[in-house]
Parts: sequence; structure tokens; C-alpha cells
Amino acid sequence: MNAVPTAAIALGYEPADDAPRLEARIWVPAGGSHVVPAVSAALKAALLAAVLDFRPRRDARVVVLGAELEALDARARAAVRAQVAFLPANGGLISHLNAWENIALPLAYHAPRQMQGVAPRVYALLEPFAGDARALLARLPEEMTPFEKLLAGHARLMLGAPRLVLAEDLPRSLAPAERRQAQAFAAAYLAHCPQGTFVRLEDGHDAAD
Amino acid sequence: MIGVYRELEGSMRLAAHVLRRCWVLKLPPVAEEFARQIYFTGASATAGIVVRGALVGTLIIAYVIEVLDADAALAVRILLWVVLREIGPLIAAVLVIQRSGTAVSTELALMKISGELASLRHLRIDPQDYLVVPRVLGIALANAALTVYVQFIAVGGGMLLSALVIHVSFFEMAGSFFELASPLDLVYAVGKSLLFGAAIGVIACYYGLNPPGNSINAVPKAAISAVTQSTLAVMLLNVVFAYLVYGSALFGLFTASQ
Repeated sequence: MNAVPTAAIALGYEPADDAPRLEARIWVPAGGSHVVPAVSAALKAALLAAVLDFRPRRDARVVVLGAELEALDARARAAVRAQVAFLPANGGLISHLNAWENIALPLAYHAPRQMQGVAPRVYALLEPFAGDARALLARLPEEMTPFEKLLAGHARLMLGAPRLVLAEDLPRSLAPAERRQAQAFAAAYLAHCPQGTFVRLEDGHDAAD
Repeated sequence: MIGVYRELEGSMRLAAHVLRRCWVLKLPPVAEEFARQIYFTGASATAGIVVRGALVGTLIIAYVIEVLDADAALAVRILLWVVLREIGPLIAAVLVIQRSGTAVSTELALMKISGELASLRHLRIDPQDYLVVPRVLGIALANAALTVYVQFIAVGGGMLLSALVIHVSFFEMAGSFFELASPLDLVYAVGKSLLFGAAIGVIACYYGLNPPGNSINAVPKAAISAVTQSTLAVMLLNVVFAYLVYGSALFGLFTASQ
């Protein structure tokens, strides 16, 4: 990572040499869709804690969107964090909100003025993947399939137009056709945000496994 | 002992957070949560309140008339002292603990265990802002409204029954009641109810956000802790209020001679 200009890195995670369980390094250039293979649960937890919660290991070097997190003050970190979205395997939906409320939640919370005219955008995001977007939007997470939850989570992050998307590995419960559709989320994101970077963290095995 | 101190400190921190961040209610999603909480705690509980309130008013009047052989004036005074100032807020609080205290602690514990609180944080939404502030304020407001409702039903029902049993004019009793009752009684009861509701909300949220474990078994434990601790808190607050009103601190502002 030292040889590459930091500005060209969308996501970098370099643990210390004495971190045996976290020996894998992650280095993702800015732009395009990338898959980081065999990410252990421990490494993923450390990476997400560092990037999403600003809790990097003291001995790890973390670069997000060209900026070293350690070197940033709180305001700059928050500005970087606002450009990062996370798509968990289960969609990360809130159980007491229906799909529409889940999708609109971050926008309504952080930028309520941008809510006007958001419904057509949501329909446009869902329609390539969902047969009946209107019916999907009215459903609670408990009434949705794993793919529909993932789709709602995808639509939610797309509304925020983040510069970096971290996505968990696709759930194994997806049918082959759904898996193909879910794999197309990266292309849909890049069509929407051409300058963005989509990173899928493929599941690996823990050292203890 | 350390655990009790930690729980008390955590609840106080949560209460301070609610006070400091109550402005988040202006955010549309938080306002929706607030409205939902008021509907659940206040509006959907009214049917049960009608029955309980009327029963309590009737029981008090029947007891006063049959056991104490009281006349209309004493029955009205008992209604004023017991129902308006003490029983009304307590009944509403107990009902809110039963319904909303358990519901909130269970819901939040489940959200914590299933990773939904982490999902909120990943969306840059503070769970305390989005979940705790509207629930605490909603429960406080709904509890105050329920208290007024209980008082109205219990006092009205009680006076109606008294009029039927001891053959005193309902309007005479009502006139006597309004002569004795002071607006301060209502302010006192509503103020107490707001505090009871806030305490119930804070305690339910605290135990919901801090379940004793990450398995599903932690959910009922969180609910039990929320119910027992909020009942205890309401009782303690009631003692403090009773001391302030009937004790030496504010003696004379509300006196038994009213």
C-alpha cells in the first residue's frame, strides 16, 4: 500500500505484522466493482469497525476514499463516512418499518428536504429487479424473501449515492436466478454512480475454523 | 451493588441524552416514531383504561360509603385526594408499564440481538436518537394523557355511583368537587405522570438496549428487569412527590383542609 498513492485507493486495510488472525491485507483501487476474496469473519469485523464505526485497531492502517482515517479529525472523518454505504447480506432492514420506510429512512433522517420526488426514483431502482415494486414497498421485512430484503437494502444505499459501497457476500439461501440478479447490483450502482467503487467482501474461513 | 450502580448510571445517562437531544423530534422519521409511540401507549390503551378507571372509582366510593359510613362531602374529598392526586397517576403508570414498558424493552432487545441497532449505526443514525428519544417522550406524554383520562372516568364514575347509592344529587357532588378541587391538583397529577412516564420509558429503553446476553433468552430477562425496575422507580417517585406535597417542604400549598 505504501508504494501506491493513497489518493488512488478506495479502501485499504493493512494490519500490523503481529496480527496473526488478521494477516490479510485489503487493497482496493478507486473506481469500478471489486471482490475481496476469502475475508475472514474477524477481518471483516475489524474492517467494518474501522470504516463504519471509526474504531480502527491501533496497530492497523486504514485508508478510505484516499484518506488515512488516523490522520483525519472528527469532522473530516464524518465527511468521509457520509460517502460510505454498507450492504449487509440480510439487507440490514429495520423490522418494524415496511420496505418503503426502510428505503427512505436514511434520506428522511439526514436530508429530509431531498425526500420530495423520491418515490419515482425508488420505483426506478426497484423495477429492474422486482416484479411488483408497489407490493414490495408495502411489505414488512418478515414478509419479504432474502432477495427482496437485499434489494430493499440496495435501493436504500442507492438513494444516498455513496462513493464507496461495502457489500457482504450474497446469502447462500438465494436461488440461482436471484443470485444473478443480486450480482447485478454492482453494475446498477456503477451506472448510477460512475465514479463510485463497489466492494464485495466474500466470506472466507476463520483461522479457528 | 456495582450492577445496580451501573444500571442507575446508564439510565441517568439515557435520560440526559433524551433531554439534550429532544430536538431530533423535528426529523420526520423520529416524529413518526413519536406518533407511533403515542398511539400505541395512549390511544390503543383507552378501552382498558375506561374499564379500570370506572372500576376503581366505583370501588373507592363503595368502600368509603359502606366501610367508613361516609357522607357525600367525605366521599368527594376521598375522591379528590385518592383518585385525583394518587391513584389516577399510579393506575396509568401501572398500565403503561404492563403494555409499553414490556413492549419497548422487548422490541429494543430483539433489535439489538438481531443486529438492527448496528444497521442503524451503519446508516449513521444514532439508535438513541431514533429509538429512545421518541419512545421516552411519547410514553411520558401518553401517560399524562391517560392519567387525565383515568381521573375523569374514575371521578365521574365514582360520583355517578355515589349519587345512585346515597341519594345525593350528582350536580351537588360535582359542585362540591369543583369547589374543593384546585387546578394545582391537576398540574400536580399531570406533572407527576409526565415524570412517571419518562422514568418508565427510560428504564424500558435502558434494559432493551442492554439485554443480559446476545441470545433470544436475554429478551424476556430484559423485559422482566424493565417491568420490575420501572415499577420500583414509579413507587419511589411517588414517595418523593408525596413527601413534597404532604410533607414539610410544600406544606400549605396542598393541604388536607381543602
